[in-house]
Amino acid sequence: MDLESRYGVPTVGVHVHVFAHLVRNTVRTNGMPSARQAFVPTPLMNTSPTGLREYVEGNDPIHGRPFMAEVFDQLTRAVPNDELRGEDWDRSTPRYIEADGEEEMHALFQERRYTDFLPIVLPTEERVERMLTGTSHAPDEMVGKLRPTIGMEHWHFDVEKVAVNAVMAGAAPEHFPVILALASSGDTGRQSSMSSMGNMVLVNGPIRHEIGMNSGIGALGPYNHANSAIGRSFGLLSQNLQGGSVPGETYAGSQGCNFSYNCITFAENEEASPWEPYHVQYGYEQDQSAVTVSYIWGNVWAEYLRTYWEEKLQAMISGLEPGMGCTLVLDPIVAREFCERGLDTKQKLAEWIHENVRIPQRRFWDHVMLNLIHEEVEAGVEPWATYWNAPPDELIPVYETSRVNIVVAGGETNGHFSIFQGSPMRAKFRTNKGKNATVSIDDWR
Amino acid sequence: MARIKVLNPEGYPPKVSARGMAPALDTLDGKKLFLVDVGFANSDNFMAQLHGWFEEHRPTISTEVVRWRNQHIPDPELCERIQADGDAAIIGVGT
Repeated sequence: MDLESRYGVPTVGVHVHVFAHLVRNTVRTNGMPSARQAFVPTPLMNTSPTGLREYVEGNDPIHGRPFMAEVFDQLTRAVPNDELRGEDWDRSTPRYIEADGEEEMHALFQERRYTDFLPIVLPTEERVERMLTGTSHAPDEMVGKLRPTIGMEHWHFDVEKVAVNAVMAGAAPEHFPVILALASSGDTGRQSSMSSMGNMVLVNGPIRHEIGMNSGIGALGPYNHANSAIGRSFGLLSQNLQGGSVPGETYAGSQGCNFSYNCITFAENEEASPWEPYHVQYGYEQDQSAVTVSYIWGNVWAEYLRTYWEEKLQAMISGLEPGMGCTLVLDPIVAREFCERGLDTKQKLAEWIHENVRIPQRRFWDHVMLNLIHEEVEAGVEPWATYWNAPPDELIPVYETSRVNIVVAGGETNGHFSIFQGSPMRAKFRTNKGKNATVSIDDWR
Repeated sequence: MARIKVLNPEGYPPKVSARGMAPALDTLDGKKLFLVDVGFANSDNFMAQLHGWFEEHRPTISTEVVRWRNQHIPDPELCERIQADGDAAIIGVGT
């Protein structure tokens, strides 16, 4: 749209057809409802050159005519003056919603997709006022901005809006500083990626005990009010404060992600861990409270470091995608087992993974990895330039140490550990550019 | 039944301001088209096929494939080049 409106170049945007609704919504909310568009079939990724030529020579599935005819028509058909001008329109949202009784209100909330399709607590003024007692910040103080994904518009919100969503999720006022910190992070619990990611929310510091979070037995499961309510709050506030999470419009995940119900919210078991807490690694003091959002796709798991633990770890991690980072969630038993093997700091374990888990160059780049760091490769930034120019069979570290996250949680009933695909979002893609993914909870008390 | 009133959970959307479009061309014959690869997976190969189609079927239309530097941020240098040297553009593929 910039090429059209700012540079005066007639431009056709080509998209895959499953995103037609999303595209039309996007151009409308950017003031150019008649933006020139043509569509090709899905999928584009992984389609052979022959298949792509068939797309060019075949039909535009949305407009129902040959793709090239549509492209030519879009560039040469006269556009009426009122469409050339674009369109502005008011879409402010009312502060209150009214209905004839609770049953109708619940139905309205579900119909408008404000919920996760489970019952919510209706955000009456009284309940929201009570939630606001959980912070010293004024209700009309702006907290931040969110969007479903890069390239889409940001919506803004204040403390009261976050409180409304926290009430809906069943949170208590003592949970509110954590929820505000999450809302301020710029990270969303409803990321619109075709890859269907979910989230992990990790809480560190004294607040874990103050509000009764679980870092022991069942820490990642549905066994604790604070863990459950904070995670659900993050999901609901994300979808409602960012402009929605509607499949085909503001959500594109092909399969969706079950992690999204709770955003894997838990506290690190700092007391049982032989290592420094996660937030201390990122500049916080141990007696400060902080929260970190990661983007997560799935996990593999194992029990204890057995005889062939090195081969096992290599097999588990080498099957993950290089571009997305990894997060190890270790029961304290397993953390101690690593220490017994000389990996007595998180950094040493991350370095072991970097040095010992490697895959051939050709496989390293056989994914969206190049999309993510194309600029760095072209600019000759290391190590990417070296990895790109390596021979196809040369073994490349799957992860740099900065992309290996290590967390301790669990109640020592079993030497269980999970390795999740995913990590905090790369700095260059973050809404809050230049800011750490680990944010202060204390700032929101 | 008693009416109830609750607070709206939605955030504050940005204002929508009109953005103008460029006028259409009368014809593409004799014109220069930039085929802009935005960098999503396989967009480069799609643009290569599009370029091939133009060379085979419409050789009077000049086409050049270029790469948007980073799909998530503006690329003013490329836009200025397209504005200076081109007549139209096809940009994609949004996936």
